[in-house]
Amino acid sequence: MSFVKTRIHPAAEMHAQEHLDGQIDRREFLTRATALGVGAAAAYGLIGATAPGKAMAQEAQQGGTLRIQMELPALKDPRVADWSEIANQTRGWLEYLVEYQRDGSLRPMLLEGWEVNDDATVYTLKVRQGVTWNNGDAFTAQDVLHNITRWCDQEVEGNSMAGRLKTLVDPETKQLLDGAVKVMDDHTLEITLPRPDITLIASFADYPAAVVHQSYDNGDPAANPIGTGPYLPVEVSPNVRTVIERNADHEWWGTEVYGGPYLDRIEFTDYGTDPAAWLAAIESEEVDMLYESVGEFIEIMDSLGLEKSDAVTANTLVIRPNQVAEVNGMKPYADARVRRALAMACDNSVLLELGYAGLGEVAENHHVCPIHPEYAKIDAPVYDPEGAMALLEEAGMADYEHELICLDSGFQRDTSDAVAAQLRDAGINVKRTILPGSTFWNDWAKFPFSATEWNMRPLGVQVLALAYRSGEAWNESGFANEQFDSLLEEAMAIADAGQRSEIMAKIEKLMQDEGVIIQPYWRSIYRHYLAKVIGAEAHPTFEIHVYKLGLSA
Amino acid sequence: MAGFILRRFGIMILTALCLTFVVFFLTNLAPNLEKLAKTQGNARMTDAEVTSWLANRGYDQNIFVKYGEWLGVVPGYVIEQPDGTYRGRCFDQAEAIPDDAPRFCGVVQGDWGYSSVFRDEVLGIIGLRLGLTGKLMFWVMMVMVPSALILGVLAGMREGSRLDRGLSSISIVTTATPEYVSGVILITVFASSAVGLKWFKGTATSAMENATFENFFLPVITIALYGMGYIARMTRASMAEVMQQQYIRTAILKGVPFRQVVLKHALRNALIAPFTVIMLQFPWLLNGVVIVETLFNYKGFGWTLVQAASNNDIELLLGVSVVSVFVVLITQLISDIGYVYLNPRIRVS
Amino acid sequence: MEPLSWTGALAPLITPLWIAAGALVALAILRFVVSLLIVPAQSVALPDGTLTAGSGPLELIDRAVRWALGSVLALLALFLIGGVILDLSAGIIGGMARRLLPVWIALVATLALSYTFRRRLGLYGKLFDSTIGTVGFALVMFWVFAAFFGAMDLIATFDPLAQSGAMKNEPPGTPFDKMIGDVDEGAYPVYLLGGDNLGRDVFSRMVSGAWVVVQIAPLATAFAFMVGITLGLPAAYFGGKFDTILTFLANLILAFPVILLFYLLVTPEIIETGIPTYMSAVIFLFPILFLTILLNARYHTRPALRTGLLVAVILGLGWIYLSLISEPFGVLPVLPEALDLFDIPGGILTVFVSVVFVNAPTVFRIVRGLALDIKTRDYVAAAQTRGEGPWYIMLWEILPNARGPLIVDFCLRVGYTTILLGTLGFFGLGLPPESPDWGSTINDGRRLLAIYPHPALAPAIALLTLVLGLNLLADGLREESLRD
Repeated sequence: MSFVKTRIHPAAEMHAQEHLDGQIDRREFLTRATALGVGAAAAYGLIGATAPGKAMAQEAQQGGTLRIQMELPALKDPRVADWSEIANQTRGWLEYLVEYQRDGSLRPMLLEGWEVNDDATVYTLKVRQGVTWNNGDAFTAQDVLHNITRWCDQEVEGNSMAGRLKTLVDPETKQLLDGAVKVMDDHTLEITLPRPDITLIASFADYPAAVVHQSYDNGDPAANPIGTGPYLPVEVSPNVRTVIERNADHEWWGTEVYGGPYLDRIEFTDYGTDPAAWLAAIESEEVDMLYESVGEFIEIMDSLGLEKSDAVTANTLVIRPNQVAEVNGMKPYADARVRRALAMACDNSVLLELGYAGLGEVAENHHVCPIHPEYAKIDAPVYDPEGAMALLEEAGMADYEHELICLDSGFQRDTSDAVAAQLRDAGINVKRTILPGSTFWNDWAKFPFSATEWNMRPLGVQVLALAYRSGEAWNESGFANEQFDSLLEEAMAIADAGQRSEIMAKIEKLMQDEGVIIQPYWRSIYRHYLAKVIGAEAHPTFEIHVYKLGLSA
Repeated sequence: MAGFILRRFGIMILTALCLTFVVFFLTNLAPNLEKLAKTQGNARMTDAEVTSWLANRGYDQNIFVKYGEWLGVVPGYVIEQPDGTYRGRCFDQAEAIPDDAPRFCGVVQGDWGYSSVFRDEVLGIIGLRLGLTGKLMFWVMMVMVPSALILGVLAGMREGSRLDRGLSSISIVTTATPEYVSGVILITVFASSAVGLKWFKGTATSAMENATFENFFLPVITIALYGMGYIARMTRASMAEVMQQQYIRTAILKGVPFRQVVLKHALRNALIAPFTVIMLQFPWLLNGVVIVETLFNYKGFGWTLVQAASNNDIELLLGVSVVSVFVVLITQLISDIGYVYLNPRIRVS
Repeated sequence: MEPLSWTGALAPLITPLWIAAGALVALAILRFVVSLLIVPAQSVALPDGTLTAGSGPLELIDRAVRWALGSVLALLALFLIGGVILDLSAGIIGGMARRLLPVWIALVATLALSYTFRRRLGLYGKLFDSTIGTVGFALVMFWVFAAFFGAMDLIATFDPLAQSGAMKNEPPGTPFDKMIGDVDEGAYPVYLLGGDNLGRDVFSRMVSGAWVVVQIAPLATAFAFMVGITLGLPAAYFGGKFDTILTFLANLILAFPVILLFYLLVTPEIIETGIPTYMSAVIFLFPILFLTILLNARYHTRPALRTGLLVAVILGLGWIYLSLISEPFGVLPVLPEALDLFDIPGGILTVFVSVVFVNAPTVFRIVRGLALDIKTRDYVAAAQTRGEGPWYIMLWEILPNARGPLIVDFCLRVGYTTILLGTLGFFGLGLPPESPDWGSTINDGRRLLAIYPHPALAPAIALLTLVLGLNLLADGLREESLRD
C-alpha cells in the first residue's frame, strides 16, 4: 500500500474486536473496515493477519493474448450501464475510484484513501497523485467532482448511480446537492452529507461508477476512449467481439502500486446465452477463460481438467409478485395474504436443488445475505402448502391462475419451473411464460409475477435501498411501505453493523411478513479457465480486473 | 429472352417492395417500437420518455413517410431536439443543420441505414455476414450436391432393386432428421467429452477467420445431410423416369453395357430436374443456416437475422429481408433459365 | 429397489438379437458387393408359362438375408410380447411394452382389419400392397394411438409437468423417489426413460408431447389445405386478374424466409397487437366457407336439403369459430363468456396461424397447378356442357381427380409441419415453456446432452420416427396411386 493512513476509524477498531470475538467473519470485517477508509493492509493488520501478497501475480509473464468468453451488450454511457459485462469491456481504459476485491475488501484505485467521520456524514477523499489520463491531462480532484456531479444527475433516464448516491442528490433540482462536495485542493475533496450514509464508498466501487474524462460526451465510450487505464479498445462489435490492447503510449499509475498489467491484448468473444456453447468454446480451446460456469456444466468442466474458481456471493434470484401490477382490471398481489401464501407454498431448499443444482445457500425471503455485515439471523420462512391454500381461500384468490414469467436462461427458468411445480403441488393454478432476453428486460419491473436475477452489493442495505424502497426505479415488487422506508433510513445511518443488525432483524421480518419476495437461494458463482491463466478468479460481482490478468510464465 | 428476364426483374423489384413494406409495417408496430426505444435508450424508461424518445428520432411519423425515407424517395426527417440541437436522418445530431447534409438518404442513394444492435452501417454488416455464410454454403454445396447426385443416380438406375430401396431409405431418413436433431446428435458423438471421440470442434466461431476441417466439418455436414435426402430423391425419380424411356431401353437391348448406358445416355437428361431442385434449395437452406449458425455460434447471415429480429433492429432486418428475397427470386430465375438451356424442348414464350 | 436394466428377465435374448442383426448387416453388405461382380441368374421360363427364380450365389445370399431379417424381426416381437406379459420384470423395455398395450391392441386391430378388407378400401387399401407404405402407416398410427390413449391417460406413468427433486437427470429405469414426503401409494415405481433436468418423467413427457404434435400438425396442415384449395381452384379455373393477384401474393409469402416470418409473427409484441387473432379470424373462416360452397354446389338443386344442411353447418361451425377467435380479454371479445366454448392460449394460436400461413401458399400453388391440368380434361368439358355451375365443377369434378397428389403432399406436409413446430421450439418461440412438445423438449435437453443424453434423445427419436413414418407413408401412397 502506498498511501499512509493517518487515523483509523473508531468503528473499524470495534469491528476488529468483533471479528476477534468471533461475531463476524473475516470477509465481513474487511468489507466494513475498508468501507470506513481503512486500507486493506491496515485492516488485515488490525486483526493480526497479513494481507495476501502479490505472489500470484509475480508468476505472470509479461505480454500475451487472453481470450475470454463473455456476452457483449453494446456499450453505453457508464452511469446508465445495466450489465456488468458493459463495465468489463470498458474497465481497460475507464477505471474506478475504488475497487471491490474478491475477498470482500474495497481497495482504493484513483483515490489514494478516504476518511470518514464517526457518524458517517463527512467523507474526505484523497485523490491519488501522479495519475494521468491517456491524453496527457493530469487527474485531479476536479475530475472527481465532475464525475460525482454526473452520477447525481437524476434527469438522465436510467442513471442508476443517482439512486446509489441518493443522499447526495437534491430532490428539488434532481442534481448534486449544492455545496455537498467541496474541492479542497488539487488532490483533496470533502463530501458533507445531509444525513449519514455508510454506503457511499461502496457505491463508488459499483460497476456503473466508471470515471470518465470531462470531455466525454455521454455517447459511445469507445468512440473517443480517453481514460486513465492501461488499455485501449481496438475493436468493439457488440454481440460479436471486443478487443482491447495495451496502450503503449501511456504510463499507467498502477504498475508501481499494484503491479500489472501483464497482457498485451485481451479478446472478449460473445458465444450467446447458451451454456452449452460456452462449454464447446472452452472445450475446443477457442477461449482461455469463461465468464461464468453454471449448473450441471460445472461438473462437466471439472472433468475437463480446467481450473475452477468459486465465489460465495449474495447473488440471487428473486421471484416476486408486483403489488401494484394490474391483471385484467384487478391487482392480484395487493393483498399480503396472497403474497405470503405464494411464499409459504415453496420450500426453498427444494428450489435450490432443482433450480440451481444445490450450488449455493438457502435464502430466507428477505434479501439480506449471511455474508452481509449487517445480517441478522431470524426464523426461516415457514413451508406450509396447506396453510398457503387456506390463506388464498381466505383472500378469495384460490381459483386465480398465476402467470409466472421468467427469462429464457438456464437456472432462472429451471427455478421458476420448480416454483410453478411447488405451487401446483399446493393446489395453486400457475401458468408459465418464458421470454427471451430482449423482451424480458423491456418490462422486467412491471410483470405481475416474475423472476429476476439480482447481483450482489457489498452491504445488505444497498440492495434493499435499490429494490424495495418506495418509488425506486428498480423497485420491481411495487413494495411501498412507510415503516420499511423509515427503518431502512435508520439502518443506513448506523455505521456499527452490530447495532444495524438489530434494525435489520425488524426489516427482515417485515419483508417476510409482507411476503414481498420468494427468494430461494444465494448463488455461489463459478468460473472455469485454463490452468495457464492467472488472476482470473471468480469475482462476487463478476468484475474482471483486466490489469490483474496474465498468462503463467 | 431479354424481355423475359426484364419482366422477371420487374416482378422481383415489386416483390421486394411489398415484402420490405410488410417487414417495415410489422417492425414499426407500437409494441415493437417501444421495445426498440427501451433497448436503445434504457430498459427502465417511462411511457412518456418512450414517446418523446421515439418522436425525437422520427419514429412517430406516418408509416408511409418513414418507408419513403428508408427508400430514399421522401426527404429525411429533421427534428429539433429539446436541447436545441438538430437530429436528422441524413446526419446524426448537430448544433445546426449541416450544409452538406443530403436531403434524401435511403436505399436509392445507397444508404441502407444503421444497425441499432451492431452500431454499424447495415450494408457493411450484411456484406461481412453474407460472406461468412457464403463460405459455409460453398462447402455445404460441395458436400451435398455430389453425394446427393451419386445416391440418387445409383438408386434410380435400377428402380425397385434392393440397392434402390436401401439408398432410398437412407435419403428418407436424412430428410426426416431436421438440423436441430442431427446437429445435436453429431455434436454429442463427435465433439463432446462425454462420448470422448472429440474428432471435431463443437463450435465454429473460429471458422469465421480460419476454417479448418476440424472446426467446419460438423456445421457443414449438419446442413448437407438434411438437404441431401431431398435432392437424392428428386434425382432418383428423374433417373428412374429416364431409364424407362424408349431410347434407353433400346440401348440396353442393343447390348450396350449398362454402365455406359447410364453414364452416356441417361445421366444428362436425368440431371435436369435435380438442377432446378438444387437451385430452389438455396432459399430453403436458409432455415438450416439459421439453425446451424445458432447452434454452432457461427456469426453469419442466419445468426445476424436472429439477432436483428430478436432486438427489433428495423433497418438491419429490412436489409436482411431484401437480401433473402433477392436470393429466393434470383435462384428461381436461374433455375428457370437453366431449365430452358438444359431442356431444348422448352422455349420461353 | 434396484434400478431397472433395459431388458430384465429377457436379457438372454439379447445375444441372439445381436448375432442376427450382425449377420443381417454383414449379409446385406456382402449382397451389395457381390451384386457388383456377378450378374443375377436369369429367371427360367417353364413350359407352363410360369417363371422360376434362378439359383446363383446371389439368390443364395438373398435367402440368407431374408432369414436373418426374419429372425431379427421375430426376436424383436419376442421382446415386445415378453414385455407385455412380464411387465417390469422384463426391464425398461418390458415396462414400456406393457404401458403401450392399448396402442399395440389398437395398432394390430387396425392393421389386421385394413389388410383383410384392403380390396374394398380404395387407395387406402392399396397402401397395404406396398411394404414401405405399410411400415410408414404403422409408424404414424403408432404415434397417433400413443397420443390418443396418452390423452385419455392410459399410457403416461406420471404427470408430464410434475417434478421430483430426487429424480433430476436420473438415467432410465431409476426407481421413483421424492425429495420431500413419501411416494404416494399406487405411484408408478420407476421413471422408465429417466428424469429430465427438472426431475420430470421423460417417458410421460414424450407421450404427452405426441398429443401436442398429433393435434397441431395435422390440423394446421388441414387448415392450410382448406385455404389453399378454396383459393387455388378458382384461381386456376377462372384465371385472369384474380389468378394473377393470388399467384403474386402466394409467391410473395413464399419469398419470405420462413424463419424471418416466424420471428416477426410469433413474438409477444405482435401477440399484444392482436394481429395473429385477426389473421386467425380470417383463416378460420375458410373451413366454413369451404363447406358451405361444397354443400351448396352439390345440393343447390334440392333447396330443402341444402338449406337444412347449410343452416346446420353455418350454425355449428360458426359457434365453434366464434369461440375460437373470441377471448375474454383479447382484441376480439365478440362472444359473451357464457357462450364461449373454449379459449386457445395466445401462444398456441399464433403458432397455429403462422404454420397455416406458411403452408397455405405452397398448397395453393400445387392445387392451382393440378387444376390447370385437369381443367382441360374431357369430363370437365362434359360437365360444362351439362350446364353445371363453376363451383360444382371445381369441387366435385376437379378436386376428386386431384386427390392423389394432394393426399401424398398432405402426408409430407404434416411431417414438415412437425419439423417446423420443433424449429419454433428450438428458437423458444410460441408454445408455452413447460410444454412437453418434442421440439421444446429437444431444445431443453440439448443443453445437457453431453452428460445426460436421454432427455433429448427420447423426443428426438420420437420426432424422427413420426416424420419418417409420414415420409414412408407418402412414398407408399405415391407409388400405389401411380399404379392406377
